Amino acid sequence: MVSASSAEPAYLPSSVQGAVKILVTGPFGVGKTTLVGALSEIDPLRTEETMTSVGEGVDDVTGRPHKATTTVALDFGRITLSSRLALYLFGTPGQQRFWPLWEDLSRGALGAIALVDSRRLEESFDVLGLLEEQRIPFAVAVNVFPDTPAYPEAELRTALDLLPGVPILTCDVRDEDAAHRLLIDFVDHLRVGALELS
Amino acid sequence: MSRGPVRPYVITGGRSLAGRDALEFESLLRTVPGVAVDPMVVNREQLAVLEMCRELLSVAEVAAHLGLPISVLKVLVDDLWELGAIQVLPPARPAERAPLALIEEVLVGLRQLR
Ligand SMILES: Nc1nc2c(ncn2[C@@H]2O[C@H](COP(=O)(O)OP(=O)(O)OP(=O)(O)O)[C@@H](O)[C@H]2O)c(=O)[nH]1
Ligand SMILES: [Mg+2]
Repeated sequence: MVSASSAEPAYLPSSVQGAVKILVTGPFGVGKTTLVGALSEIDPLRTEETMTSVGEGVDDVTGRPHKATTTVALDFGRITLSSRLALYLFGTPGQQRFWPLWEDLSRGALGAIALVDSRRLEESFDVLGLLEEQRIPFAVAVNVFPDTPAYPEAELRTALDLLPGVPILTCDVRDEDAAHRLLIDFVDHLRVGALELS
Repeated sequence: MSRGPVRPYVITGGRSLAGRDALEFESLLRTVPGVAVDPMVVNREQLAVLEMCRELLSVAEVAAHLGLPISVLKVLVDDLWELGAIQVLPPARPAERAPLALIEEVLVGLRQLR
């Protein structure tokens, strides 16, 4: 369990009437925590959630399916959007073993930013499949590392097998301005999607 | 405030599920101003929740600050809500749809930030 933080919490203005959330997801080490930190107005917070899941395979000793208790660290940040509305950003691990947590996390989410490291695209296949399956509106954001090869967008789209409506954005998630532009582009994509539905 | 790890089972009185489904990670909490709770009916974690929520914070933030899993916090808050001690502001978005007006409000807010 995480230790209690000693700092005084940063309260929301009392005029705020509700909050929305957006997920930041992707494979291990892709930059989720870094992006949440670049966007958040508060020091990012972390909470741990225990999750019981039936693991893969069978226990050698008992012959029963593995039941594993995994601890998932969720880090999240916050942006006060106006006097009435706040936005929470949840860094959400994309590996398959964390999927039991997705039901709670994705309920009510406006959408998800799926961070991709183009040096290891295959690690993103699981989470992209999950987002499609659960019909969570999402965009792909390629996190640019120093030695990231510059793939043409069409090549990335084919390699990731993306539906035509899914945008591919690019960002150095360590850069606060770039992260902010990424978030605006993403929400604008959500707006276009909602317009089409309305 | 420092405390050792607490077993979720103990502090939720043996229950592991919230009585209702309404609490989300981004639900906002505020202690009802001036509320007096009987210290015999709440535990020390719940008192800590009431103390922390004297102003507005999300379920996720309160969990992080108190070092509790979100699922545990939800159970504690549920009881406090039943006692009339805490106010819950549900997420701005109804679970099943993403109204255009809300997305536009988010966009306007983000564009005003810098
Ligand atoms: N060069 C470079 N390094 C980055 C970038 N983004 C993240 N990093 C580094 O990559 C490492 C992993 O980043 P995190 O933000 O912790 O990634 P994460 O997705 O939260 O990782 P997990 O939570 O462990 O799955 C950290 O050491 C970051 O400093 C980037 O855009 N460029
Ligand atoms: Mg992380």
